[in-house]
Amino acid sequence: MITKVSHFTLFVLDQDKAYDFYVNKLGFKVNTDAKMENGFRWLTITPPDQPGLEIALLNPLSGMMKYDEETTNAFRVLLEKGALGAGVLHTPDCRATYEELKGKGVSFKGEPKEQFYGTEVILSDDLGNWFSMTQPK
Amino acid sequence: MPIAIDVYKKIITAKLYIDDNFNEPIDLDRLSREACLSRFHFHRLFTRIYRLTPHQYLTRKRIEQARKCLAGNELSITEICNEVGFESIGSFSTLFKKEIGHAPTHYRVQAHERRQQTLEQPRSFIPHCFIENCTGEPPESNNRETRSGALP
Repeated sequence: MITKVSHFTLFVLDQDKAYDFYVNKLGFKVNTDAKMENGFRWLTITPPDQPGLEIALLNPLSGMMKYDEETTNAFRVLLEKGALGAGVLHTPDCRATYEELKGKGVSFKGEPKEQFYGTEVILSDDLGNWFSMTQPK
Repeated sequence: MPIAIDVYKKIITAKLYIDDNFNEPIDLDRLSREACLSRFHFHRLFTRIYRLTPHQYLTRKRIEQARKCLAGNELSITEICNEVGFESIGSFSTLFKKEIGHAPTHYRVQAHERRQQTLEQPRSFIPHCFIENCTGEPPESNNRETRSGALP
């Protein structure tokens, strides 16, 4: 029986920029930032109210991953296109968070809209991934 | 009733004021002036938007900064208490313990141990499957130690 998610991977184009985006702009917390002897960097963050969930920010183009050239190039194409839809982020107020993050330079696709499940807007991390930012009903 | 966009911007201005000045004495009068709203109106809207009262939000910001200071520098607990904007060491310790689950001193010891382990034994933080599948290396090392909340 599976009961919860403890870790998942978010592939990004650049770990330093991802740190700045998720920690300094979105307000996630750093859980672990450790570097192995071979240079592989294990950087995990947690949503502010979800300390049990570690999101590993990994760069598949860093040269530290075991992927072959074809796979690395496939990652590069997808990430540079911003084609990877990573998930849904919850906020207590979509419009307030949208206005605040827009002021911090975060990219959005359109403006918040009412959906049957709440108020939603699409944001991009500019590192390969888009998210729905939702205020649930 | 929907909140008008200019009112949102006023509340955000006050929230960002807390983000930038939480280490200073901040009261409801100051924040409502930042927002150009009455105290009552400001408190009601802030609480509706963030699901926290302005005071609760301010306290969280201070605790969060205290957490970073405890983990990252060598200032005394009293110095950190003052640095992040608390006026009394008693209320700081009580609120820190309530929010984080440990007293500041205990949290600092744990954070330093963890930081040291991050430097000396980075593999002990990484699930085996990630080491093997991401780097192609065998996950086990001879000096591996398991931290609390052991990973697979």
